[in-house]
Amino acid sequence: MKNQKIGRIVAAALTIGTMALVTACGGGSSTSSASTAAGGGAIAQEIKLGAVHDLTGPVAYAGVGAKNGAEIAIQEINDSAFLGQGVKVSIDEVDSAFEIERATSEMTKMMGNKDIVAIIGPAASQQAAAVAPLVERQKVPTVFTQAGSSGVVIGDYTFRGTAPMETYYHRAAEWMKAQGLTDTVIVYNAQFPTFAQLADTHFPPLAQQNGITISNKIAVQTNTQDFTGPAQQIAQANPKAVNVLLNAAQSVTFLNQLRQAGYTGQAVATSVQGAGNIAPAGDAAKGLVYPTDFSYAQTDPKAVAFAKAYQAKFNKLPDNYAAEGYDSIWWIARGIKASGDSSRQGIQKGLKQVAGEGFEGAMGKLTFEGNDMRVPGVMIKWDGTAETLAP
Amino acid sequence: MIDWYNSNSVLLQTTLTTLLLALSIQVSMRVGVFSFAGIGAFGIGGYLAAIGMTKWQLETIPAIAIGALAGAVVVFLLGLLIGKLTGLYLGMATIAFTLIVAVLAINGGELTGGASGIFGALGDITLEGVALVVLVVVALLTFTELGSLGRQLDTVREDPELANSLGISVTRYRRISFAVSGLIGGLAGGITTLTRSTITPEEVNFHLVVLALTVIVVGGSGSWVGALIGSIIFVWLPTWLDFVSEWEELIYGVLVTLAAIFLPKGILGVIRDLIHRWQSSRAKKAAGVIGPDQDPHSISIAETALPAGVGGRTPNRRPASTTKEES
Amino acid sequence: MQDVLNAAQLGSVYLLFALGMALAWGTIGILNFAHGATFMFSAFVAHLVSQAFALPLPLALLISVLTGALISVATQVFAFQPIIHRSRNITTAETRILIGGIGVASIPLAIAQRMTHSAPFGINTTYQDVVWDLGLFRLSSTSLIVLIAGIGLGLGIIFWLRRSKQGLALRAIGVDSETAAGMGINQFFLSIGTMAVAGGLAGLAGALLTIQLRAIAPETGDQLIIKAFAIIVLGGLGSMTGAFIGSFILATVETLVLKANLGSWVDAVSFGLIFIVLLLRPQGILGRKEVRRT
Repeated sequence: MKNQKIGRIVAAALTIGTMALVTACGGGSSTSSASTAAGGGAIAQEIKLGAVHDLTGPVAYAGVGAKNGAEIAIQEINDSAFLGQGVKVSIDEVDSAFEIERATSEMTKMMGNKDIVAIIGPAASQQAAAVAPLVERQKVPTVFTQAGSSGVVIGDYTFRGTAPMETYYHRAAEWMKAQGLTDTVIVYNAQFPTFAQLADTHFPPLAQQNGITISNKIAVQTNTQDFTGPAQQIAQANPKAVNVLLNAAQSVTFLNQLRQAGYTGQAVATSVQGAGNIAPAGDAAKGLVYPTDFSYAQTDPKAVAFAKAYQAKFNKLPDNYAAEGYDSIWWIARGIKASGDSSRQGIQKGLKQVAGEGFEGAMGKLTFEGNDMRVPGVMIKWDGTAETLAP
Repeated sequence: MIDWYNSNSVLLQTTLTTLLLALSIQVSMRVGVFSFAGIGAFGIGGYLAAIGMTKWQLETIPAIAIGALAGAVVVFLLGLLIGKLTGLYLGMATIAFTLIVAVLAINGGELTGGASGIFGALGDITLEGVALVVLVVVALLTFTELGSLGRQLDTVREDPELANSLGISVTRYRRISFAVSGLIGGLAGGITTLTRSTITPEEVNFHLVVLALTVIVVGGSGSWVGALIGSIIFVWLPTWLDFVSEWEELIYGVLVTLAAIFLPKGILGVIRDLIHRWQSSRAKKAAGVIGPDQDPHSISIAETALPAGVGGRTPNRRPASTTKEES
Repeated sequence: MQDVLNAAQLGSVYLLFALGMALAWGTIGILNFAHGATFMFSAFVAHLVSQAFALPLPLALLISVLTGALISVATQVFAFQPIIHRSRNITTAETRILIGGIGVASIPLAIAQRMTHSAPFGINTTYQDVVWDLGLFRLSSTSLIVLIAGIGLGLGIIFWLRRSKQGLALRAIGVDSETAAGMGINQFFLSIGTMAVAGGLAGLAGALLTIQLRAIAPETGDQLIIKAFAIIVLGGLGSMTGAFIGSFILATVETLVLKANLGSWVDAVSFGLIFIVLLLRPQGILGRKEVRRT
């Protein structure tokens, strides 16, 4: 038996040793000392940004969107010499793949790379909340897109380039009041934090302010696929409006079953349905309205210009995730210009300064609450094939 | 080397916590209990540690300790309740238990943070601290794998009737295994949560069960070493396969499938077989006799899991009686 | 009345999905964890084809059924059969098949996620849904199809297993495969055939459900597997009638819970049911009794 014991220990040691060696040799190399920010107080010629966000996984659409938007912004900044002649901004993209450990370890690696002066953080709330404390500790200014929950913007170095849904949802309430939709039923995914909070905490007071009665709140789960029951309940109650707080696939099914149940009233959804995400619902989604932070249907010049540039490069219309990435990068660029310093501290100061002043982005007139972005928000109507501004 | 250590400290830590998670199941499997309750304990431990830190102002170590203890107690009680079940039935009951923990977490209102979970529970945890804890756990487990205790536990798993007749209390060991698996699971949950500073109900789900199971299956279920091998593989896979990171899930699936087909005892089993063959060929040369060809300590997960009679089907070698009511 | 219809419809959906799994498990003892991925990927292939031109309903269903059958047969031939060959006994094989199924399931899931970026996908079909308002209740044509398909196939399989020669052969394999082989039953081909049918059922369920829900996500299949577990445990391992009844019981309870505005507890229903049944009557409603071990 002693042989076995030795054998086992040897085996274990060998395996661990080999794995460690392979990883050590194959994995991270020590960072090169390329031209970094000219130590405090100047804008470097080469500014390296980093991005750790979801390029694959369930929220890949958010990460990829942000990546595309960022690309447009960086190109504009470089082409227009916004930060000075010959100053080049570049970005290192890494996939966090919706895994917390992946996000954390990639962020740690990126922060360990002294060349990287600012980072675009994960879009998934939980990953963002997990890396936020690290960001604060390492003092690397990080701008998160999406990541709408609490625990993300926690200190001086964490910033968010996306207005949380509840900050512009008042647009929906006001629009409903203007249209005379004074009673509504809420159908919401209680397992999705943003929707749960909207339904439980944020919307009720907004409704009250706007004279809207919430006659019923129907909770479902993320894996609820069939909505015939709730649809019929609603059809029978026949409220003037229905507030739909469901994810993409669920909304498609729900709207269809709602119409099948004979309900003809107004459906009000969220930005999740934006950028054509609701197209699979076909006719059932005609006339759907929703508040969002960006739509290509917006008419202000910056939005139009952004949509044009996006379409030219990617051959499709931009979604709000792209706009968020775009505005986040421009926030960083303006921050560098404002502080005149492209080091980590410089960017942090700059971001804060710009936040204090606000600026005009693709999403409209951007203001900030602390380090958190706020947008005017816009009500969109989906006519079955395209987005238009709701009346 | 130090650079590598620093930039990969997260992955190293994750390897250790994944190891603990896998061990919470492996410990049960060792005595033939096909239980996934350790994952539920992970959730309980994680939530209690987070609640302890954010709402009751506990320090890191007490918070984790409470989580681990709660895990042990709850799973022990669970074991009392369903301990008589075997095989796939027990597995499903424990999976159901784990998923119920998640449902309770979602509906826990203010206490558990509902769907959003808990944020801001940042513990004071170092890689060295975690390594120390894991070392202790592993040392204790090694103790149970060797000597007469090791053999007793092997008998409990392989042949409970024989064990009973030998005076080994099968029920007692099974009950203890529930408590231990809950303790380790709760420990894993507490450490993981306080490292990440957040926990949400979504994390306590079926995928976690699958992860722990595949770690053990691919690594080898016979001993903690197998769980370690499995943990290293699955935590570092994305790093090694960086160039195919988009297809990571697919490669994962292929690896697991291949392991299920070709490596019944996991990688550890393969290593052990190789060592055995090397040893016995030496012995053969030395003594000119045939060496042993069955290593009693090396078990395949399959043998752990399903004693005879699951689904009413008898394995062909046993004449156990079953009454069957057909559809 | 409408509620009864809703529960019945939900039950048919569950039944369609669980049928394939229960069939394979109850007869040849294969607990195919890749069933959910098969379900989803069959619909996905139909989706891909439908991007080129709008599919008439029968064609969409056919594509899906064939894809599902193909996937399941491939899984059987390349994964499960080798495992059975290399296992010393059935119990060893069972767990390895479980793990193998989990591994195989990741593959179609990864492909679909990659190609859709995890966005939902539907099937572009020429079939138009019609809704009938019959006073007491409303019924859509798709729901009717699902109902008929689910109940029809369910009853069909139950009777086929009981009455036909192949059904008898399958049940013989389930009871004692060695003796069955000795009786001249060709286990290999019957297994392939069963898996083909199970996969075809998964494909049918996939297409029908995608059309009814208008869109599904790549993750939808895995979500249904747990429900299938609950149904099979409830109805009893090995019993098709049990799976039939179990589907409708689960659907009814879930519908009631949803109606009582306890929407976030719906999952607790599935899990709680599994737990209670296993505690009180592990063999389910109609399952085979099992020898309790030490």
